[in-house]
Amino acid sequence: MNRLKDMLENIRVLLILRLLVGVTFIYAGVLKVKDPNAFADSIASYQLLPVELINVLALGLPVLEIAIGALLVVGLCVRIASFCTLILAGVFALALASALVRGIQVDCGCFGNGATSVRKMWLALGRDILLSATALVLYYENAVKVILKPCQPSSTV
Amino acid sequence: MHMAPMNHSLALKIGRDIGGFVILSITALCIGIALNQLRDHPLPLRYASKAERLDEVVATLGDTQTDPLRSGDSPRADVRRISLDEFRKLAADQKAIVVDARAEIYYRLAHIPGALPLPRNEFDKYYQKYLTVLDANKNQFVLIYCDGHSCKDSELVANALSRLGYTKLAIFGGGWYSWTEHGLPQERL
Repeated sequence: MNRLKDMLENIRVLLILRLLVGVTFIYAGVLKVKDPNAFADSIASYQLLPVELINVLALGLPVLEIAIGALLVVGLCVRIASFCTLILAGVFALALASALVRGIQVDCGCFGNGATSVRKMWLALGRDILLSATALVLYYENAVKVILKPCQPSSTV
Repeated sequence: MHMAPMNHSLALKIGRDIGGFVILSITALCIGIALNQLRDHPLPLRYASKAERLDEVVATLGDTQTDPLRSGDSPRADVRRISLDEFRKLAADQKAIVVDARAEIYYRLAHIPGALPLPRNEFDKYYQKYLTVLDANKNQFVLIYCDGHSCKDSELVANALSRLGYTKLAIFGGGWYSWTEHGLPQERL
């Protein structure tokens, strides 16, 4: 446990985690921006939101993902960006878990449109939980340990 | 890693970060809506389901057809679901037209040999492209497939073709998944 803790506090490891999460979010956002209809269909398939909110979310969420990813990659406002990542990844994971529990087969819509399968949903859920955990580590390092201001540039993590 | 003096409680910090998240989200939404207006076909603010969107397309196609039988409000054909064996028999014996209702990129990667692309999300473009082929063979079966049993696109495309006057329609429910699971030949572009 102490070795894991030391590894997670290593500056290089934190930098890699930040860049990985940032690039992932930018990639996911760009794919969704290219086909908003398909992303809206994915959101609708979860059967969670009223019809009036689906296209609004389909238009705003990809831009938010790209913005958060860009902030993480360049190392600006890392505290806010990692907090946003934590919220988004957590919400994605909850939505997927909800669909699995209700027996609804959905295309996650995470990285563009694809075929649906329960196996892919479980993989997507695992990926979102991993993203949430990584975001939590980044947020903890930037908001609790180092106590950066919301947009103070990070020269370390 | 150093610990700077804490000026605010953690709860206050989280509160401010929530505020930051809300501001970032609203800004992203405004940018997303603005960028949407620059698209050739902007996404409407109110969501329309796949079936509703395809219905609109079919209504437009039906209006442009000179053949009165091709009206968008033609009586619906009886569309049946067929197994892999029935699909292969119909495709071979009766020289049916096979159409692939998956997105075009999946068709390009691989498809059932001889299938024509008729993706649900680009129905108008590909229907008009293959109209002469479809019309020339309107006495034969049109066999439609997509990913598999959980995919609804084959059903939507079948309904669209039915509204456009095609009466001999069948859906291969097992779709691409069943075809590849049985190790059957594939065609690529």
